[in-house]
Amino acid sequence: MVGTVRVSVASTIATALAWLLVSTPVAGQEGGGGGPAGFRAAPVAGCPQISRLFWPCAKAKAATFNPPRNPDGTPNMNGAWNPITANGSQNIEDFAGDAFLGRQISIIVDPPDGKVPYLPQWANKRQDNWDHYIDPIGSCFYTGVPRQVYGPRGQAFIQAPGLFAIVSEFAHQYRTIPTDNSPHIGDSLRLYMGDSRGRWEGNTLVVDTTNLTDRTWLSISGHFHSEALHVTERFTLIDPDVILYETTLVDPKVFRQPWTMAMPLVRFEKGHEVWEEPCFESDHDLPLLLQEHKLWFGLTPPR
Amino acid sequence: MRLGAALLLALGTLAPGASASAQTAGSPGASLPRASDGKPDLTGVWEALTTANDDIQDHAARLGVPAGQGIVEGNEIPYKPGALAKKQQNARNRETEDPEAKCFLLGVPRTTYAPFPFQIVYSPAYMAIFSEYAHTTRSVFMNSEHPPGPIEWFMGDSRGRWDGDTLVVDVVHFTDNTWFDRAGNYHSTDLHVVERYSLVTPDHIRYEATIEDPQVYTRPWKISLVLYRRKEANVRILEYECYVYAEEEAVRRGELGPK
Repeated sequence: MVGTVRVSVASTIATALAWLLVSTPVAGQEGGGGGPAGFRAAPVAGCPQISRLFWPCAKAKAATFNPPRNPDGTPNMNGAWNPITANGSQNIEDFAGDAFLGRQISIIVDPPDGKVPYLPQWANKRQDNWDHYIDPIGSCFYTGVPRQVYGPRGQAFIQAPGLFAIVSEFAHQYRTIPTDNSPHIGDSLRLYMGDSRGRWEGNTLVVDTTNLTDRTWLSISGHFHSEALHVTERFTLIDPDVILYETTLVDPKVFRQPWTMAMPLVRFEKGHEVWEEPCFESDHDLPLLLQEHKLWFGLTPPR
Repeated sequence: MRLGAALLLALGTLAPGASASAQTAGSPGASLPRASDGKPDLTGVWEALTTANDDIQDHAARLGVPAGQGIVEGNEIPYKPGALAKKQQNARNRETEDPEAKCFLLGVPRTTYAPFPFQIVYSPAYMAIFSEYAHTTRSVFMNSEHPPGPIEWFMGDSRGRWDGDTLVVDVVHFTDNTWFDRAGNYHSTDLHVVERYSLVTPDHIRYEATIEDPQVYTRPWKISLVLYRRKEANVRILEYECYVYAEEEAVRRGELGPK
């Protein structure tokens, strides 16, 4: 029995890792050398990569950096961006690495312990998710928000007047973010990617996302939220090729306080194109995964 | 009445080859909204109003399917001898074999006239077309070359350029896993589509596509239709997560997952 479970988990992870490895040559090797001593050692835009060190350093740079601009005066973030320290969203907390998931240094900067501040009744739910459910992106469902930005394979940003769009290579998903002061859609409409509305605060794009479902996770390792999740994201150039990405999650049903992740998004090499990944169309191992794991169709209330 | 006449006049300029004159001062093109690079601004939410997803050719009504005038010029698809039999077989098996029935990406040009709204996002180097159906993204890279094949993508590889005020998109590198409609019209991996998007009023795009596939057709053939801007206040693309709903239903029925 144990052996069967292990095979099934391994195939889940193999599926996830296959995506990570296909077209993100940087993931897993960041920091140069890839060895334990060099893990995330190389600075990005003059700042350390590790989130708790990167965050204050990048905020200081953001305060003085004058970014290249679009014809409408907004900072120019057009291009393809790689969340080099997120390991394809395998984990968001500190993790030593095991047979299934790679090493991670927490990308959570607040609270300072780098852990998701779950309410006590949810203390064991992440482990339960990992043991019994397929990560929604493992069955080609949407990443949700904010995982889209730090999920596998990187994203392309397209800017037009009054609109910011994010295209993921993962499962050809996308998100459009009006920046025209338009209101959110009606509260009863629930979307995997929610309803995002953006505004410029100085050189920072601030995105407010509501109308989310509880059908997405925050990591392959099983971090989760409810449909009450409210996400704020901040995108700020600190260098022509580096964005400081900050996201704060509020969900009073699951978290005891708001919490924040921060990380660098680094521009892919010039000419990088986000190509089609027909995820569901070429997904043949779902019946195998389903022998021991369930599809995730939302958060089950705790017993 | 006068407005109607103006619209007809504007649509009249859509005749093939007429697009180059659209930039002339005083012509209808002079009043079109323009993007930062001076090109007609195609940004927005659009939708076709044909029944072409049921059948791209003229078709009579039947239960559940409204009648429709086709979008194929001359109403004839020039199948090679023997190729029509495959189309007819597809039609018979459509309830299980139509890629739409499997919740697969619909391909090009079907995504354009499928009954879902889509959004065009345009920047001078990179245009994207987002459909509500199964979060379909089409990336249109501007003024660049196709990567070398063979590559088989559901939505193909799209490269755009401007011909006067008309956006021309060249699409190759297709799988043979998509159809043109529920009637089983199909293509091979040699499919080559050249699309032309012409903004004729701020709220109408004349869409034309030339379809070429020497494995299946004796000659290139064309489709044309009009795309309409969705004008409702605060309209946005929502989500039609086809395969999620299908899997959820299969689990509910005990057809998918542990017994």
